[in-house]
Amino acid sequence: MNAPVRTLHPLAKDRPLEKLALSEQIEFRNVTKLYSQVTAVRSLSLTVGRGEFLTILGPSGSGKTTTLMLLAGFEAPTEGDIRIAGKSVASVPSYRRDQGVVFQSYALFPHLTVRRNLEFPLEMRGIRSAERAARAERILSRVHLDGLGDRMPSQLSGGQQQRVALARALIADPPILLLDEPLGALDRNLREQMQGEIKGLHKEFGITTVCVTHDQEEALTLSDRIVVMNAGRIEQTDTPEALYDRPVSRFVANFLGDANILDDPSFAVESDTPQPDGTVAMIRPERIRISAPGATKSADADQRQHVAGTVTDMIYAGPLRRYHVAVGDNDVVIREHVAAGRQIFQIGDTIQLDWLRSDIRFVTT
Amino acid sequence: MLTLQKLTRASVVLTFPALCLLLLVFAIPIVQLFFNSINAPALSLVNYVTFFVHPANVRVLIQTIEVSIVATVICAIIGYPTAYLITAASKQVRSVLVILVLIPYLTSSLARTYAWVMILGDRGLINNLLLDLRVITSPLPLIYNRMAMYIGMVHIMLPIMILPLVSVMLGIDKSQVAAARSMGARPFSAFWRVFLPLSLPGLRSGALLVFILSLGFYITPAALGGLRDAMLSTFIAAEVQSSFNLGRIGAASFILLAIAMTVLAVLRLNPAGPKGNAASDRRNRFPAAGALVRHLTELGTLRRARRWNMHLYRAGDATHVWRFIGITVVIFTLLFLLFPGVVVIIVSFSAGTQLEFPPSGFSVQWYRSFFADPSWNRAALSSFEIAISVTIISTILGTLAAYGLSRSAPMLRNVLTLVLLAPITFPVIVVGIAAYLGLVSFGLVGSKTGIVLAHSIGAMSYVVVVVAATLANFDTSLEQAAKSMRAGPFRTFMRVTLPLIRPGILGGAVFAFLHSFDEVVISLLVSGLSIRTLPLKMWENIRHEIDPTVAAVASLLMLLPVLWLVAMYFIWWRSRSRMQAASARMLAAV
Repeated sequence: MNAPVRTLHPLAKDRPLEKLALSEQIEFRNVTKLYSQVTAVRSLSLTVGRGEFLTILGPSGSGKTTTLMLLAGFEAPTEGDIRIAGKSVASVPSYRRDQGVVFQSYALFPHLTVRRNLEFPLEMRGIRSAERAARAERILSRVHLDGLGDRMPSQLSGGQQQRVALARALIADPPILLLDEPLGALDRNLREQMQGEIKGLHKEFGITTVCVTHDQEEALTLSDRIVVMNAGRIEQTDTPEALYDRPVSRFVANFLGDANILDDPSFAVESDTPQPDGTVAMIRPERIRISAPGATKSADADQRQHVAGTVTDMIYAGPLRRYHVAVGDNDVVIREHVAAGRQIFQIGDTIQLDWLRSDIRFVTT
Repeated sequence: MLTLQKLTRASVVLTFPALCLLLLVFAIPIVQLFFNSINAPALSLVNYVTFFVHPANVRVLIQTIEVSIVATVICAIIGYPTAYLITAASKQVRSVLVILVLIPYLTSSLARTYAWVMILGDRGLINNLLLDLRVITSPLPLIYNRMAMYIGMVHIMLPIMILPLVSVMLGIDKSQVAAARSMGARPFSAFWRVFLPLSLPGLRSGALLVFILSLGFYITPAALGGLRDAMLSTFIAAEVQSSFNLGRIGAASFILLAIAMTVLAVLRLNPAGPKGNAASDRRNRFPAAGALVRHLTELGTLRRARRWNMHLYRAGDATHVWRFIGITVVIFTLLFLLFPGVVVIIVSFSAGTQLEFPPSGFSVQWYRSFFADPSWNRAALSSFEIAISVTIISTILGTLAAYGLSRSAPMLRNVLTLVLLAPITFPVIVVGIAAYLGLVSFGLVGSKTGIVLAHSIGAMSYVVVVVAATLANFDTSLEQAAKSMRAGPFRTFMRVTLPLIRPGILGGAVFAFLHSFDEVVISLLVSGLSIRTLPLKMWENIRHEIDPTVAAVASLLMLLPVLWLVAMYFIWWRSRSRMQAASARMLAAV
């Protein structure tokens, strides 16, 4: 059950999206959604390729859930068009679309057994009961819930309910799977386990998946591409790596990981490329080295910028040590792995920071 | 096809059948009544002036308000501690206590009023007892006075006060009271500063329900009160019987309605439930006194902080006395609620030619006479017929309306809810007169169909309240989930929504049935004397003390709510996980 088309997609980052037209599955064209005066989503354009795992990431109120609801057909766009496999679905109600949805609350029917829940989408498609039973049995064992078919949803643990919800969304083999904060209600260990589970199922079914989350870790581990949304607009769409490494805006830089914004005007940031207008310099904490003022310089010293600073705070966090350093008016965060022989600085120490000029990024404010 | 689809997608359409019925039987006539009261098209206030010119009328008006306030206050004084103690009891005890409060609530108010006639009457329980003990030589005038009226009214209204209080109190997070105590509040100030303000929404909705029902109360004042204790509803009823001057009736009705609406508006309460503006409640009511209290509190804090640890582990000690007092209060309240019923049941087995307490011998003669008398049988049969039709109509229309409301925009929902609940928020006598006028225009006065329609509007309100409360608890993502699995709107409703809200619908149906089966005032007005329902026949007998068979009927009516509770228990028991939520919602709704 492997889907060869999927291999196209990691290329998405370098390729203009138009070239993917053949394999695109979902397309948003200038979609706007108004809720009595409040704009939830404004002129959003987006394409999702066949077999791709796309995550919409954003804080609450960014319009990400509205985008998913529009795609699922629970809301109709105020303006613009949504196309699935080339056909406009803007006025097609959800029950005439062919997609599986996993809800944040799982939305398992409390009055039906697990098996009846799983059979529901098949029943609605008019599939005979013998086949329904067989398919329910098959998918139950696929999500490791053999023997639990006769339980009521309330008799399952959170993780088991999550699996049933996933199984129910996938059982009818829909071409599209929508996930609304799928792991939000699970504790940390279970969440990691389920991430692997979702990834496995996605690979196995080759199903085009759109996931909505506010959890950056979830987005980074699961997705082929991530769409970062803010205030109803797309900030940036990219592969997880590109998004982390080359954020375009201050918002994206801050939302995904920690970012040091170097905006003190008295402090000149050196860079390999000229700084565009309306941007600020940004560098990730793990790209900065911290050392004593007179320490011997490394071999690549000519590619680095060296600045002096004062330690204002030091936080021990297990494998990492986090320093806050005042450089001019900027508060710079440095993350350093705890290792033997590494010098530990205290609050008030004057130290030296250095980083590669090529690690500086310019982000819009 | 497309427009039809669009129309059905606007869920507000589902409220139209209910609104239509309401419009024809209630809303249009009430507008008509209003125009009559101002002599439209002449637009004069002469009917209102006439009302206020007569000192007797003004006295009745003031008396109505006074009686309603006193009854409300007594209910609050007895009801609040009782509700508090019920909430504080262990889970099993609590559900038993709630059921013991529910039974009288669901019992025919006619039967319960009759019980007080049995107790307070000249040959009633108390007088007989005192005469036998030779404490008195002639019967005391216990009945037909203000006192008897209050006892009867409080007895009828008390469950209506207790139930919303219990439901709100159960919703209060007990850790908040514990938190207050951890911050050094004594038990009393923790109660006063934390628990009481949080329970106020329940007190307010209970008080409001009692007050509004009291305003339009007819049966109990008429049966237990004296001639001088006339309420406005008695006045209106007399006016209907004597002159049927629509202008005067309209004026009196709208004065009554105006008082009810003013109180509703002042307390800003949505009659749909005791939720709502809890936030505006938390403002400090006594800023000046508050500051003084806070200052004194701070002085005492240190000492209290030290005592806190001690107190934590000593919870049971000083409360022994309080426990005893608490149990006594609950027992007395429940006795007050349940004892009259027991008296009627015992009396109904009297052997003599008259009802007496204690009975001189055991006999089932009054039951035999009930089942043998064709006029009683006919009355019972019509009541059942009417109640079943009412239940079917109002459950279907009410459920559709509640579903439509829950899927409409909030503004529209609030307005339409107020409209749909008018038949149970307006004083019953006003509803009766409106229904009479509405049925007159269709020529349905004095027909079973007419009574069914007149009962259906109020029954529908109950269904809307109970079903809407159930739906408020309903997770709409379940419907979305069904739709994402290719279930159309109809299949989604039948397969997912309906099974999940079924307990609420059945609860609503029970209320609808009881509303119709117990209804006296509206039936009295629209039956045109040609149809006799069971309550009408009972009412006649209670007023004129003709036939002791009424005791047997009342006893049988007391059995009804018990049967209903057993039925509801089984319905809910089958959907166990939802039972708790549903019953809590029900309580909140009633």
